[in-house]
Amino acid sequence: MYQEAAVLFQIAGIGIIVAMIHTILKQMGKEEYAQFASLIGFIIVLIFVVNSISDFFQQIKSVFLFQG
Amino acid sequence: MKWIGALLLLIATTWVGFELANQLNNRPKQIRQLKNALQIVEAEIVYSQAPLEEAFRIVAKQIPNPIASFFQAISQELLQQTADLPTIWEEEIARFFPNLALGNDEKELMQQFGRTLGQHDITQQKKHIQLAFTHLDRALEEAQDNQQRYGRMVKSLGFLTGLFIVLLLL
Repeated sequence: MYQEAAVLFQIAGIGIIVAMIHTILKQMGKEEYAQFASLIGFIIVLIFVVNSISDFFQQIKSVFLFQG
Repeated sequence: MKWIGALLLLIATTWVGFELANQLNNRPKQIRQLKNALQIVEAEIVYSQAPLEEAFRIVAKQIPNPIASFFQAISQELLQQTADLPTIWEEEIARFFPNLALGNDEKELMQQFGRTLGQHDITQQKKHIQLAFTHLDRALEEAQDNQQRYGRMVKSLGFLTGLFIVLLLL
């Protein structure tokens, strides 16, 4: 249970930091870099989420299809 | 153990950010010093009609250090007469400029200025110095612009990148 909560906090932290980087870059007139930073952050978070979801499906499979 | 590593990483990236900001801050300062140096050289040439070796020695005395040692070195080399001025100038620029915060523009500018030194009579020389001076003015403006725009950004960006990487690796 602790593990899942840690992932949540990690994703939240990444979100906050990426938002701050985005704001700073945008303020300094580097729109394109700001967009790029957000995109990178999004992709990284997406990778985390995909991992978690794959775990989740594995669990379902092991419950209903009697597989490891 | 994990937290020590995280802290080290954070300190390192923050440091990089501050170092870059420092570079940005030093560039206008050093351009201003170069301008001062040129002014002194001009005064020495036009009014005292001093030889370049002496002019550079006087410049080195009146300017703060990173630029002063450049002129000091040129003066020394000229005194020992190891080579002619353009060669010495090129060599010293190649030796000193990597340590300064100055960009490629200023380096190119000073190289061109060095090629004109000692080639002309006083009025022509004065014109060349004025030309280099106006070029430096333009470079200074640009450097100040960059400093104001990116100085703070680089600092906070360094810290934030560190935090980001730490969160990724946690």
